[in-house]
Amino acid sequence: MIKYKMILLSTIFIPLAGAFFLPLLGRYNARLRNIFSFILIFSSFVLSLSLIPLVISGKTLIFARQFPQGFNLVFTADSLAVFMACVSAFLSTVILLYSFSYISHYENQNEYYSMVTLFLGAMMGLVFSANLIFIYVFWEITAVCSWRLIGFFREKHYILRADKAFLITIFGSLLMLIGFISIYQQAGSFDLAVIREVFKSRPLDNMVVLLLLCGIFAKSATLPFQTWLPDAGIAPSPVTALLHAAVLVKIGVYVFARIFVATFDVSFIWHTIIPCSAGVSALVAGGAALIETDLKRIIAYSTISQIGFIFLGFALGKEIGIIGALLYILMHGISKAGLFLCAGIVEQNTKTRDITSLGGLIKTMPLTAVSFLFCAFSVMGIPPFGGFFSKYMVFSAAAESGNFYIIFLFLAGACLTIAYLFRVFNMVFMGETHGPEAIEGSPGMLACVVTLAILSLASGILINFPFIFAKVATWQIMSH
Amino acid sequence: MNKLLFLPILIPLAAALGTFFVPHRLRKVRECITLSATAANFLLTLFLFKNDCVYILPWLGPSFEFSLRLYRFSAFIMLAVNGFGFLISLYSVFFMSAKAHLRQFYSYFLITIAFACGAVLSDNLFLMLFFWEGLLLVLFGMIAIGSNHAFKAATKAFIITGIADLCMMIGIALCGYLAGTLTMSKINLPLQGMSVVAFILLMIGAISKAGSMPFHSWIPDAAIASDVPFMALVPAVLEKLLGIYFLTRISLDLFQLNPASWLSVLLMIIGSGTILLAVMMALIQKNYKRLLSYHAISQVGYMILGIGTALPIGIVGGLFHMINNAIYKSALFLTAGSVEKQTGTADLEVLGGLMKKMPVTFVCFAVTAVSISGVPPFNGFFSKELIYEAALSRGLIFYLAAIIGSFFTAASFLKLGHAVFFGGVSEKNKSAQEASWGMLVPMIVLSLFCILFGLFNSVPLAKLIAPVLGQERLHGHSFTVFPLNLKLTIATVIVLVLAFLNHIFGVKMSGSGLHAADHIRRAPLLRGVYDRAERRFFDPYDVGRIFLKRMCAIAFWVDRKIDWLYEGVVAKFIVWLAGVIKRRHTENYSVYLGWALAGLSLVVVFLFYSIKGR
Repeated sequence: MIKYKMILLSTIFIPLAGAFFLPLLGRYNARLRNIFSFILIFSSFVLSLSLIPLVISGKTLIFARQFPQGFNLVFTADSLAVFMACVSAFLSTVILLYSFSYISHYENQNEYYSMVTLFLGAMMGLVFSANLIFIYVFWEITAVCSWRLIGFFREKHYILRADKAFLITIFGSLLMLIGFISIYQQAGSFDLAVIREVFKSRPLDNMVVLLLLCGIFAKSATLPFQTWLPDAGIAPSPVTALLHAAVLVKIGVYVFARIFVATFDVSFIWHTIIPCSAGVSALVAGGAALIETDLKRIIAYSTISQIGFIFLGFALGKEIGIIGALLYILMHGISKAGLFLCAGIVEQNTKTRDITSLGGLIKTMPLTAVSFLFCAFSVMGIPPFGGFFSKYMVFSAAAESGNFYIIFLFLAGACLTIAYLFRVFNMVFMGETHGPEAIEGSPGMLACVVTLAILSLASGILINFPFIFAKVATWQIMSH
Repeated sequence: MNKLLFLPILIPLAAALGTFFVPHRLRKVRECITLSATAANFLLTLFLFKNDCVYILPWLGPSFEFSLRLYRFSAFIMLAVNGFGFLISLYSVFFMSAKAHLRQFYSYFLITIAFACGAVLSDNLFLMLFFWEGLLLVLFGMIAIGSNHAFKAATKAFIITGIADLCMMIGIALCGYLAGTLTMSKINLPLQGMSVVAFILLMIGAISKAGSMPFHSWIPDAAIASDVPFMALVPAVLEKLLGIYFLTRISLDLFQLNPASWLSVLLMIIGSGTILLAVMMALIQKNYKRLLSYHAISQVGYMILGIGTALPIGIVGGLFHMINNAIYKSALFLTAGSVEKQTGTADLEVLGGLMKKMPVTFVCFAVTAVSISGVPPFNGFFSKELIYEAALSRGLIFYLAAIIGSFFTAASFLKLGHAVFFGGVSEKNKSAQEASWGMLVPMIVLSLFCILFGLFNSVPLAKLIAPVLGQERLHGHSFTVFPLNLKLTIATVIVLVLAFLNHIFGVKMSGSGLHAADHIRRAPLLRGVYDRAERRFFDPYDVGRIFLKRMCAIAFWVDRKIDWLYEGVVAKFIVWLAGVIKRRHTENYSVYLGWALAGLSLVVVFLFYSIKGR
């Protein structure tokens, strides 16, 4: 057990502490810094993988140090946390490998690598924390990192977008902090285990639920806090993949699962309100994606729309829906990261993001095109790609709820997904070549997108493994 | 025995992988793999045909198990799928020889067969959806490799079928919730309340797969853009078999559809609408493959009408028509392919006089064309008679729709045959020859089946179709008596004679076979409709696209307005507020002191009250 506790702590603190050495290392040797940052993130991934055998058997690993006033330092590794940690660390590893060649000719690389590593460390901390105040702290660290990363290019216009993202998410998280404090006043502790005991018999106040939701929706870019996400598309592609697709936006969803599914009972009405607002969000973002002409903004809108499906799965409180939502996090993370990284190759080689001036790229960039298509199929939910299973399970939960408004809202959202992804694919890769001539991306970048594309397919064919994991996680959080 | 059920899925999948990785130099190897895989599959289904067995693997726990079930109905469909698969793969080997993308073509071809077998064999709705929706991928791929601009038709096909499949996904989720299980053989729901919605959603999936209106419009586009073997295999055979198979399953087994239900009327309306509208469009086409594709849509109408009647005779007729249509429709597409291969075109304006050049193809065309027109004693006649009988007992209007559809079917095939095989040969087609034996064999076999299933219709009816319904539903009827209903038979013959006279009249009026239908095209009332239809006013896909664009413009507007709320309102307000406060900083010492004192007193008041509150 001691061994596992050490693993748990190192999973969090290796990237968290190591991040601060990266700029120093970068002053001597850029190559060494890259390798070191890879080692940090990859070791975090491997360590979180090594926790799987423990949690898959249903056990929970707890590392706790008592502090006064309910500020206990508690890290809990249950299946939900380990699942999230594995997904985010894995995607960060792939994205980091991609950025080695993508970022290589820009300035501020020291800051880039340390921020990415710090971001992952904070993510790990957040995932394993079982204390509201520590969740908040790590939450804000990720906000700061993403602010620096979105503003990676130092033009004024870009900086403003970064500020916008930062301000909106911070606004949300401050509201959430108020919610946390009012929970603290009622329970006398920030420790989730203590809070769960206190709130065992009564539901959370609606006002508090609303405050927490503001924070969660702002982080996960759901209506009406969604507009920072498409604007953040100006960041370098690995950053958008990391933030928009794989990790950052999943924070909100994860905390939603941790708080609303695993800890509190909420008033019955939220089982309708949350899916409805998520559905409207899915629909509005899906519609906007069909009008927008900027490649990365379209994919960003797609993220907003897909996040709606994840919320749907969690919010209905049905077992199958939660399994579906967890699988959705995995499948969407893989394939959306793939889409963003493909978009990055296109953007870097054609110097444009405007899809109306692109076309016919499949002739010169066949691998990128096919990888893009594979990832798109997974997002659409076409079997045998992984997205199919998660989409079906989420819909299955919606069917069990018997609320036809919700079902048809999301049906429309799913139809839009097919439409806008095909629109992008056809305009960028098919038809006549007009505009810039393009060559295929560098081998390192291609390897990353091909890996993600193959994983999109493999995660569907080998669905058993993630499914069992998600199922155990669901049982654990449902059984409180 | 049970484990063998895996093989019909596994063999083509393995072969697909094989063909994909065989290098280009070894083309023959690839063709051998394809042929032997489809042949093995066919033999295997023949071997398994009589069996009734179940094979279950725990896939994702209790509700999502990997369960395959072979019984009388699925064995029948499997036999058809693999029989056609073998014949068309033989044809493709000769037809496709000079085409590009062969590696992809054969892989997709085999995956299509594997997934179709999987969908038919599945006994779990979720597993069926897995294979069923997976067909989308190969559908897209097979159309897209047809030509440089085929991706548009492919996208259209994908989006239309994809949306229908999403409806079906929800239908299956609902059905599983209502029935408490996803195992098909255990579900039997009465049609009331939520299960009506589930039925409609599943029905959308089934009829869209079969290519009925309003989910049809990708088929004519794909007919132009893609290769003939694809058309002959997928829209003409596999999709009909799957769609009608599932429609029958949901109306017979999963739900209790009875003639009193309004859903039965809905199905009949869809069926008769599809028959009429599609055949009217077929009549005016000027491309061999496009004309056939409209018939592929129109014939589905008969099957849906037959099954929609919810009467045993109608269901038997619908199923018999399904298999008959698969036979003659794929043979017709194959004749189109061999004509196209010899002349390089499918444009009816250019074709003509090929009877002498390609006699065997012509005979095959003639046999299959009279079958589809419902001329006795060919197979199409018998299945249509059953459907007429059922339709008439549900309402005269449905019968009229069906019989008028037959009139136009006959008229358009007279026109087609006249335009392609009669008349003078144009300069370009002087060198046309008979197709090679590998292409002729499938056509001849299928034509023979048209005759056999006509003359000996009791064999397929008794061996293949009657077991599907079971004796308790049929009440001992075999429906093989001829004539089933003398009056209806006479009416059919009269209609066919009228169609022939109409053709002669049309040829006299316009002077050519191709324009034999022009007097209908130009008839008052119809003319305006046709003009609009040719400009795609009625294509549900295009109409939907325009509607979608508008809806999305609204969504985009909402999104931008929310953004404006942040950038236009909040940001401006804060700048204004900062300006106001800034102006209070007057660098005047006494003003600052006043601010500080006011703040301090507020703190004191707050502390005082909070202490007092305790």
